[in-house]
Amino acid sequence: MTTTLRQARVIAGVLLAMSLAVPAHSADRSLEFAVKSTFLYKFASFVEWPAGSFASDTAPFNLCVVGADPYGGRIEQAVAGQRVDKHPIALRQLAKAEPQSGCHAMLISGSSRQTAAEALEAVAGTPTLTVTDSDLGSTAGIIHFVIVNDRVSFDIDNVAAARNHLVISSKLLALAHSVRTAEGAR
Amino acid sequence: MSGERQAVRPSGLTPAHALTAAVVLLVAGIVASMYQDRLFRAQRAHELTVQGEIVAANVTAALVFGDMKAVQEHVAALGIDPAVAAAAVYDSGGNRIASFVRLNAEPLPGSLRDAPLNASSPTLLVNVPVTHQSETLGTVLIRATGEPLSRLLTRHAAMMLLAIMAALLMAFMGASQRALREANRQLESRAVALSETNQLLQTEMEERSKAEDALRQSQKMEAVGRLAGGIAHDFNNLLTIIQGNLHLLGRIDAHDPETIQTYVAGADVAADRAGQLVRRLLAFSRRQPLMPQPVDLNELVNGMRDLIIHSVGDGVDVQFRLRAKCRTMCDVNQMENVILNLAINARDAMPHGGTLTIDTDDVSIGVDHSGTELNPGDYVQLEMRDTGVGMNEDVRKHAVDPFFTTKPHGQGTGLGLSTAFAFIRQSNGSLTIDSKPGKGTCIAILLPRYVA
Repeated sequence: MTTTLRQARVIAGVLLAMSLAVPAHSADRSLEFAVKSTFLYKFASFVEWPAGSFASDTAPFNLCVVGADPYGGRIEQAVAGQRVDKHPIALRQLAKAEPQSGCHAMLISGSSRQTAAEALEAVAGTPTLTVTDSDLGSTAGIIHFVIVNDRVSFDIDNVAAARNHLVISSKLLALAHSVRTAEGAR
Repeated sequence: MSGERQAVRPSGLTPAHALTAAVVLLVAGIVASMYQDRLFRAQRAHELTVQGEIVAANVTAALVFGDMKAVQEHVAALGIDPAVAAAAVYDSGGNRIASFVRLNAEPLPGSLRDAPLNASSPTLLVNVPVTHQSETLGTVLIRATGEPLSRLLTRHAAMMLLAIMAALLMAFMGASQRALREANRQLESRAVALSETNQLLQTEMEERSKAEDALRQSQKMEAVGRLAGGIAHDFNNLLTIIQGNLHLLGRIDAHDPETIQTYVAGADVAADRAGQLVRRLLAFSRRQPLMPQPVDLNELVNGMRDLIIHSVGDGVDVQFRLRAKCRTMCDVNQMENVILNLAINARDAMPHGGTLTIDTDDVSIGVDHSGTELNPGDYVQLEMRDTGVGMNEDVRKHAVDPFFTTKPHGQGTGLGLSTAFAFIRQSNGSLTIDSKPGKGTCIAILLPRYVA
C-alpha cells in the first residue's frame, strides 16, 4: 500500500510538473516523449478487451512498438515495473504488424516496410488498441496523439475501437480532445 | 365525607396531567423534528455522495493523465447545485489540486494533512475517494451549504405549529378542567351548607312540634277548666233552684197541695235540666252510647215541623225543601237534638226576624273533590240557612269549640254546636259552617247514605 501510494504520489508529482507546460517544438522533447510513453500504458486501464484476450489474470499485457521507437527509449523507462490491472507489461518491438502478433496495444509509427495505414489494416478486426501520433503522420489509429495548447492530448476513434471489439471507458472518452463515434465526431 | 368528595370529583384531566401531556407532545414534536432533520441530512449526504462519486468517476481519467484543467472543470461543475458550498479534489498526497468555492463560503483546506476530516462537523461534509484499478488516486471533498433559516423554519414549521396547538389545547383543557373542579368544589360546599341548614330546619320543626303539642295540651287543660267551670256554674244554678224549692217546700203549709205541687214541679224541672246537661256532657265526651239506625231525614224533619216552627217563634219564617230520596244512618234522638239546637241558634241569630230554610238533598263527593275531610262517596245533606247577623271569621272558627258562645251569660252553654259537631263526626259525617257578618249563616251537615 505504502509503495503504491508513494508510486502514485511520484507519478502525480511528475504529471503535475509535466502538465504545467509541454513545449511542442522545443529542442528537448524528452518531456513530451515521457508523457506520451506514460500515456501509452495508462490508456490500457480504461480499455476493455474481449474475453479470452488474456490467457490468465496474470498473463502479460503485450505492448508492441511497430517500427522504430519514436520516443527514444522513453517507453521502456515508463513501463518498467508497471502493470495493467494485474497484467505485467511486456514491451515488444515488431518490424511489421500482423494479426497473429498477439499485441494488446500497438504504437504504430509507420516505416518503409509497412506504412501506418497498412499496419492498421493488418490488425483491423483483432482486439488490438492501435495508437498513432500526429507528430508522425496524419494516419490515425484508435487513439491518436495530438498537441493542443502545448499540451499532450489525444483523439479517440470509437468506431475503430468497436471494429476491434474494444470498449473504451467513458472516463477516457470524456478526457479526449475529440471522439469519433458512429453518430459522428464530437 | 372525604369519600363522598372523592366520589363527586369527575375523573379526567387534571392541570398536572394536561401539562405533562403538553410537555410530552412538545418533546415528541422535537424528537420528530430531529428525526426528520436527521433523515433530511442523511438524504442530503447521500445526494452529495452521489455527486461526489460522479465527480470522482469523471476526474479519474483526468487525474491519471494529469489533465488538471479537466479536473477543475468537473469540480467547478458542482457549482450548479446550490446545495454545494465548496468542493475540492485532492491528489493521493492530500494536496488540493482543484477547488470550487461559492461566494462568501469558507474554502476547503489546502491540504488534507493539515486539516483532518472531522466527521462530526456540524456542516455536511462528504468525501469520496477517487480510485482507479484498486488504486486511490485522490479524494473529492464536498461541503454542503448551511441550510437557510427560512428553509429550516419552513421544514419544521408544521411540526412546531402542531406541537404548539396541542400544547395550547392541553393548556385550555387543563384550565377548563380546573374551572370545573373549582365549580364542583363550590357546589359541594353549598351542598354541605344546605345539608346543615336542612338539619337546623329539622330540629326547629321538631321543637315547634313539641311546642305545639305543649300548646295543645294547655288548650285541652283550658277547655277542661272551662268545662268544669261551666258545669259547676250550671249545676250550681240548678242546685240553687232545687234547694230553693226544697227549702220553700219545708217551710210551707203541708196542707196546700197546689203549692207543694208547684215547688216539686220547680225542683223537678231543674233536676230535669241537670239531667239534660249531664246527657249533653256525656254525648260531648262520647260516653253516651249512640244507637245508629237507618233514618229518613225528610221524615224526621217533618216530624219536628211544629216543634221547629214553635221554637223559632213568630218572627221567623221557616221554609222546608226536602228533596233527599235516600236514607242515612245515625242516632235519631241525637239528630233531633242537633236540628233543634241549630234551629234555636238560627232564631237567636235573627232577633228581628228572618227566614230559616231547611233543605235536604242527595249529594255525591267525587274523587277530585277537595276542601273536605270526607271520603269520596254518596251522602245525604241537611242544610239550615238563616238570614241572621252572621259570624266573623274568628267566631266562625271557634263556633264548634266546647263552651264557646256569643250568647249573653246564662242563655247558652256553649255546648250546642260542639255537641252537634262531635255527634256528626262520630256518625262519619261532616258539619261545615259558611257565614259572613250581615249575610247570615249556613250550616251544612253531610251524613253517609244508608245502603240496604
